[in-house]
Amino acid sequence: MRWFGFGFNAFGQIYGHEKLLEGECFEAEQEVKVSSPTELTAQEDTSECSLKTDCQIRASWSRRASLCLDGDSCVCLSGFVSNESCGNHVKKSRGCKDAIISESYLTLAFSDRLESWDLQKKETSPSWSMEIKTHLKSNGTHLHLPLVPGGYIATKPPLYRSLSPHLRAKSLALSAEHAILLSASGTVYTWGLGSHGQLGHGGLTPEEEPRAVEALWGMPMSCVATGGWHSVCISDGGDLYVWGWNESGQLGLPSRGLRKATQQQSSQQAESPCRDTSTPTAEEPQEEEKHEEVFISIQAFPALLDITPSCEVRTVSCGCRHTAAVTTTGELYTWGWGDYGQLGHQTLISSDEPQRVEFFKEQEMRVVDVVCGAWNTFAAIVKEEVACP
Amino acid sequence: MASLWSKISAVLPHDEEQFPLQFGDIVESSVVEILKRSRRQLYSDTISASRMLTAKIILDFSWEKLNTGTWRHVDKEWRRVYSYGCVFKVAALCRGDPSAEDVLQALRTCDMGLLMGAAILDDILQVIVRILQSEVRKSTREEESELPEVKRIKVECPHVPVIKEEGAIPRLKCPSLESFNTNYLLPLKPVILEGTIEHWPALNQHPWSIEYLKSVAGCRTVPVEVGSRYTDEEWSQTLLTVNEFIDRYILNKDGVKGSGYLAQHQLFDQIPELKEDIRPPDYCCLGEGDEDDITVNAWFGPGGTVSPLHQDPQQNFLAQVVGSKYIRLYSPEDKDKLYPHHSQLLHNTSQVDVENPDTERFPEFAKAPYLECVLQPGDVLFIPVQHWHYVRSLELSFSVSFWWS
Repeated sequence: MRWFGFGFNAFGQIYGHEKLLEGECFEAEQEVKVSSPTELTAQEDTSECSLKTDCQIRASWSRRASLCLDGDSCVCLSGFVSNESCGNHVKKSRGCKDAIISESYLTLAFSDRLESWDLQKKETSPSWSMEIKTHLKSNGTHLHLPLVPGGYIATKPPLYRSLSPHLRAKSLALSAEHAILLSASGTVYTWGLGSHGQLGHGGLTPEEEPRAVEALWGMPMSCVATGGWHSVCISDGGDLYVWGWNESGQLGLPSRGLRKATQQQSSQQAESPCRDTSTPTAEEPQEEEKHEEVFISIQAFPALLDITPSCEVRTVSCGCRHTAAVTTTGELYTWGWGDYGQLGHQTLISSDEPQRVEFFKEQEMRVVDVVCGAWNTFAAIVKEEVACP
Repeated sequence: MASLWSKISAVLPHDEEQFPLQFGDIVESSVVEILKRSRRQLYSDTISASRMLTAKIILDFSWEKLNTGTWRHVDKEWRRVYSYGCVFKVAALCRGDPSAEDVLQALRTCDMGLLMGAAILDDILQVIVRILQSEVRKSTREEESELPEVKRIKVECPHVPVIKEEGAIPRLKCPSLESFNTNYLLPLKPVILEGTIEHWPALNQHPWSIEYLKSVAGCRTVPVEVGSRYTDEEWSQTLLTVNEFIDRYILNKDGVKGSGYLAQHQLFDQIPELKEDIRPPDYCCLGEGDEDDITVNAWFGPGGTVSPLHQDPQQNFLAQVVGSKYIRLYSPEDKDKLYPHHSQLLHNTSQVDVENPDTERFPEFAKAPYLECVLQPGDVLFIPVQHWHYVRSLELSFSVSFWWS
């Protein structure tokens, strides 16, 4: 498995470690904004960290954590490095099984304990830790961070928050202000702030406790993800449901703000005013009346998102204002905010409809996983020929 | 326009060492790193695109923070970071030989900082905005001398309701502080005060007109409510320059349907020049707060703007400067006849369309007694705290409200 990254690279979190080690920083547009998928390479200074066979990527706004699980597992950090050298984290993380990273904390899950390290401070002990008792470990399903026995790890203190065991949490995704949880039975729960419809209960009010998304009842889900103000989930059948804020087209639904911006751009470039990207809905006759087009600013209930040509979605991940989905056929689709190249379409254009990342197709690569940072995207691939079992 | 940059760099700190970048713990060190990068670029040779890009990163990141959680709870540090982003962007735009469009964009950027950011470096955005505005005025004055001015204001035939004498809000000429206090403030009774704002420059020295507002504030960016009333589904807020707002919604130049209203905006903090034209009413001193605690809002729009029946948690003096408005008041005692919305967001707003009530859905509404008036230029209406009010402009109108306690 190989990993590619694209999007925000102001801290060298995608490539360019050597240059940064020499004390320089990225200032040129083509360095800060990586709009074409670029393969991640192992860091020169820490030979112990390889990006070879079994590797996972986690990303925050300024950093990338590579979690290498083969052999002597460990976490390597790339991107913004304050105070501490990368090597220290590698040492601390030796033997860990899972990791998550936020702008301030790196949380590591070991087989017998959990540790959260404050990335802003030079500390010799973790700011929070917990022992995992053996009886908890052995009770069946393996938990993925941010889920931990009895609760989850939040993005800001208090880091440990408890969760009711009745929820039977299988996976959890967190934004700064809201959370989406998937239960073992496939039910989706959300809570936190709802000002942009991101909870999917139809309103804009906050929920203090996890509340089942009623609109999805009876439709078991298999994967959940959350962006800054939007939420996404995949049904067992591979359908994609989206809700929340569509300000940058991150829901893949027509976004007025985006169309306005594109129109302005194209008029500035003195191009013809015809909008070749728009897709009028089938029900409505296609007339000159632009005002008749239905734009979505806030989608307060889950909406089914069609990707054309129709396909089944295997996994999905959200950045702050963009979304990336991998299909069962190994294709990557992205949509939403594209200012930093995070859509991988080799442009800096935002898109309010899912578009295939042609790079992987052209290179005959099969995308098997995707993980978004705040303003960037990381995709795992295998070569087509070795892909088919 | 090389002199523009010399004027702006003169008000910026002299060098990197004198340019403070101190933030609370909430601002992560990665963000501070980008701010430092931007500061370094300000004082060193680099290409303009790099300066713009670093400023954009700061603005994009802090914009996300400003939109996370409710506005009230956004940490002030993020508003400061946003303002720094604006300063860096303005500096990048104005360096070298900026085009007229660059200067306008710099002005817009300053206004975004004034609207969403917090004061930094001795309120440097206010200082820069003055420099930019005089630059813009210089160039527009040259243009205007060539172009004949368009002064066509739509003639309107407003539907002016007949005010019945028994329901009219009483009018008083300059009452003493004491008599206002005893007869109106303490018993919370509405009254129209006449002759108390005649000394405002806005009503005599330079009477507020479309031309005057365009010359003082034309290129400034302000929030505008679009849609006939804020309870409507289609209602939204947008940012426009005062010129765009006037051309589009008051002069109807480009034939845009729908209405726009520059409503409930603290315009006078944003544009201190206009603040010079008004004075807080003396009667505000009867309250407990300082003069600084008074919230002053501008309400500027064409005929036909409607503020649905609602109430506010403070005492209000509504001063009418331009045009007239029809206003109806209901006492808080009759709240149960006014059918407030149930939602948290609109619980201070009635569901009833006051001048065209749905008597089947809201049968009690007709039984609620009310007072009414047509507010004329020079009038000041005292709206006691929590009194429900409905406001409809009858023609082009500019009002100033003072909320105080």
